[in-house]
Amino acid sequence: MIRSRAANGIREGSDVSGARLHEKTFRLCCVLALLLIAALGVLPLVAQQQQAERIKSIGGKFLCMCGCGQILTQCNHVGCTMSAGMLKELGGWVNRGDSEDAITQSFVQEYGTTVYAEPPKSGFSLVAWAMPVVYFLLGLGLVVVVITKWRKPPLVAAGSVGHEGVSEEVMQRARAQAARDTED
Amino acid sequence: MDVFGQFSLLLAFVCAVYAFLGGMIAIKTRHPLLVKSTRQAGIATCVLIFMATFCLEYLFFTDNFSIAYVVSHSNRDLSTFFKVAALWSGQEGSLLFWTFLLSIYIISVLLVYRNKNGELMPYVGVILAGVQIFFLTLNNFVESPFKTLGALNANGTLDLVARADGNGLNPLLQYPEMVIHPPNLYSGYTGFTIPFAFALAALLARYPGEKWIHLTRKWTMIAWCFQSLGIMLGAHWAYAVLGWGGYWGWDPVENASLLPWLTGTAFLHSVMMQEKRGMMKVWNVWLVFCTFLLCILGTFLTRSGIVSSVHAFANSQIGPWFVGFILVTLTVCFVAYVKNHDYLKSENRLDSVVSRESGFLFNNLLFLVACIAVLSGTLFPVFSEWFSGSRISVGAPFFNKIMIPIGLALLFLTGVGPLLAWRKTSGESLKRNFGWPLLAALVGGLITFVLGYRAAYSLFCFMLCGFVFWTIVLEFYRGAKVIAARTGMSLIMSAHELAMRNTRRYGGYVVHFGMVLIFIGLAGASFNKDVQQTMNLGDSMRLGTYTLVLQSADAKAEKNYTADRMIIEVLKDNKEMMMLYPEKRKFAGTAEQSGTMVAIYSTLREDLYVVFAGQDPETNLPVIHAFLNPLVKWIWLGGVWVVMGTLLALMPNRRAALVLSDASQPAASPVAPALNPSITLREGHD
Repeated sequence: MIRSRAANGIREGSDVSGARLHEKTFRLCCVLALLLIAALGVLPLVAQQQQAERIKSIGGKFLCMCGCGQILTQCNHVGCTMSAGMLKELGGWVNRGDSEDAITQSFVQEYGTTVYAEPPKSGFSLVAWAMPVVYFLLGLGLVVVVITKWRKPPLVAAGSVGHEGVSEEVMQRARAQAARDTED
Repeated sequence: MDVFGQFSLLLAFVCAVYAFLGGMIAIKTRHPLLVKSTRQAGIATCVLIFMATFCLEYLFFTDNFSIAYVVSHSNRDLSTFFKVAALWSGQEGSLLFWTFLLSIYIISVLLVYRNKNGELMPYVGVILAGVQIFFLTLNNFVESPFKTLGALNANGTLDLVARADGNGLNPLLQYPEMVIHPPNLYSGYTGFTIPFAFALAALLARYPGEKWIHLTRKWTMIAWCFQSLGIMLGAHWAYAVLGWGGYWGWDPVENASLLPWLTGTAFLHSVMMQEKRGMMKVWNVWLVFCTFLLCILGTFLTRSGIVSSVHAFANSQIGPWFVGFILVTLTVCFVAYVKNHDYLKSENRLDSVVSRESGFLFNNLLFLVACIAVLSGTLFPVFSEWFSGSRISVGAPFFNKIMIPIGLALLFLTGVGPLLAWRKTSGESLKRNFGWPLLAALVGGLITFVLGYRAAYSLFCFMLCGFVFWTIVLEFYRGAKVIAARTGMSLIMSAHELAMRNTRRYGGYVVHFGMVLIFIGLAGASFNKDVQQTMNLGDSMRLGTYTLVLQSADAKAEKNYTADRMIIEVLKDNKEMMMLYPEKRKFAGTAEQSGTMVAIYSTLREDLYVVFAGQDPETNLPVIHAFLNPLVKWIWLGGVWVVMGTLLALMPNRRAALVLSDASQPAASPVAPALNPSITLREGHD
């Protein structure tokens, strides 16, 4: 009796837990369905957002060709005859799924190399990127040379010829003359 | 009046030629009368240029539409305020304005030093007259602003004609900043002529290097101050008027103004090496030469049409004149240097690599690299066309990539420089001096990280700003503490006393503080957001914590323009805050001209920047472009501090005043030793 009750209890318990399981599964399915519906609703928005960001990112690499010299996505000055059309073109290519390289090619073909916002890192344009580094390295080299030279003790004794042809005496005279002639 | 103006300009040219040729003879013969006469010819040249400039302004004020330049740049409805600015709104007038500002400097120099520097001034006068001759040649024979309108009559001769009204001023120039920005910038450009003239004169006259530095220090700072102010006002104009949401676009004309500023700033630093240690004399002379040449080059870039720019003047024929002038000037400088460089003998000895001298060397290196990088980037489209046949543009992304690291390195040196001692800095002193500033850098970085500003460059910039700020605070604090202990004054009053005793040094620190504020503002640009939306009445758009609701639109008619105005309600966190009124203006004139009026709500945290960007071509609805630009206000505040610091640096030292006062009043009670530490003739600078 006790066993059967216990067995009944187990069966009842298993029925209850089975029902709960069904309920849980049902709820989970509902949530998943809702999520799916929401996702289906949101996905186009996300895709739209992504495309807008892609347009902004790619558009940031080109100049508006109206002559203002501004980045395509930033040019909105009144009376600009180019930026709206260029952005529309860009939007069309992005929506079509064109790669960045293809879009760049299309822009360059249409407007020439002046459309680049920054020089491409290839061909002659590499010079533009290399130059600042070269200047810095040359300058740094010069500074190192200067510091090394200045760190060496003076080779010429005081009173002797300081620089080619100009003795310390002449320099003193020049200084005295300057002091007389100039007043602060 | 136009004939009078033209005649004044012609006579000014003749006087300048006399001042130049007579001055050269005076240098040879040293005849006192000839020296005096050429100086007075120099003064007469300036007065005649003033008269010509006032004539042109008079023609604007009286709406004399028989003058081509007045027709092109003014109309009857233009307000008096903008008629003043119309003078420099075109090629011919701006060149005359340049000559006018140059003449203000020249007449000041000739009058201030009329009884001083007897040996040097004839050279200075000749050089200044040479520069004037160049600009007067352009004013008289190439781009005269006094050309009259004419029409062929039946006899085949020209009759004077006058138009009923003018074309009006370019709308982009009809803003208050345009009335003050170009005069400031031009004052900077022209002001560098004075140190150039003294440097070249000192070299030609074989003066050892120190003297011209002392004579021109203040002139250089004045020019630098104007240049800085001009650049800041230009940036503010671009921000408030062009409507693209930014203040600096690395446009060739902007770059042209930055180039001499960079070399000028390098000079203001390296000059201390010469004054303090007798070093870098050759370098300083060439820095001044380059600064002047870059001013001329900048003008050439702006006016020749060699580079395209939204605010460059139209293509003109004056390019070759500028190239010729640059080449002649460069040749004169080079020959003078080759002949007389022995007189620039330096006492170049470096006791330690870790010293302020090294700091200045690296500072100059970075300024020069920045200058050459900007110059080569600006000219790269021209070079690429020459070498590869196709013109390759170099826009803002390139300059940002190159200049941000250089700018940050310079900011770092701004902090490090004052912590390094002259000659040698010991390890102990490094530890003592760097501890607090480094901690401030970490705290600065942490605060900005917590506030959400987390882009790498910006975060690093904020840290450096904290570092530099603290070094400046320490400099003031240490000095003020000593004065407070000696005098019993409060720390704030002691800091004030400290600054007034050594205006140049502490003025410099105030300028550095201004630069810190500017860098904070620049770092904010990494977090700019914007949204553009076609809006119907009642529509809203969100941007950050702001909601913008288009409430209505109206139109208003003013004397010189009509404006379409959008009325936008701004809500912050859904609470009503304010109304903004971005406008689009259509200006009167024969050409179809329009401009924007941006509506900006500016706080220290961010700018809400709203532009009425036009109408959607398909729906005909207004398009609103809104930007959220963090920390922009700090840039303008920084600019104010930079100018204040320069003005402070231009003031005489209070200590020097005490010495003079003592000398003139021997009976007065002596200054207490505590108030009068180690009086020397050399002005304090570090």
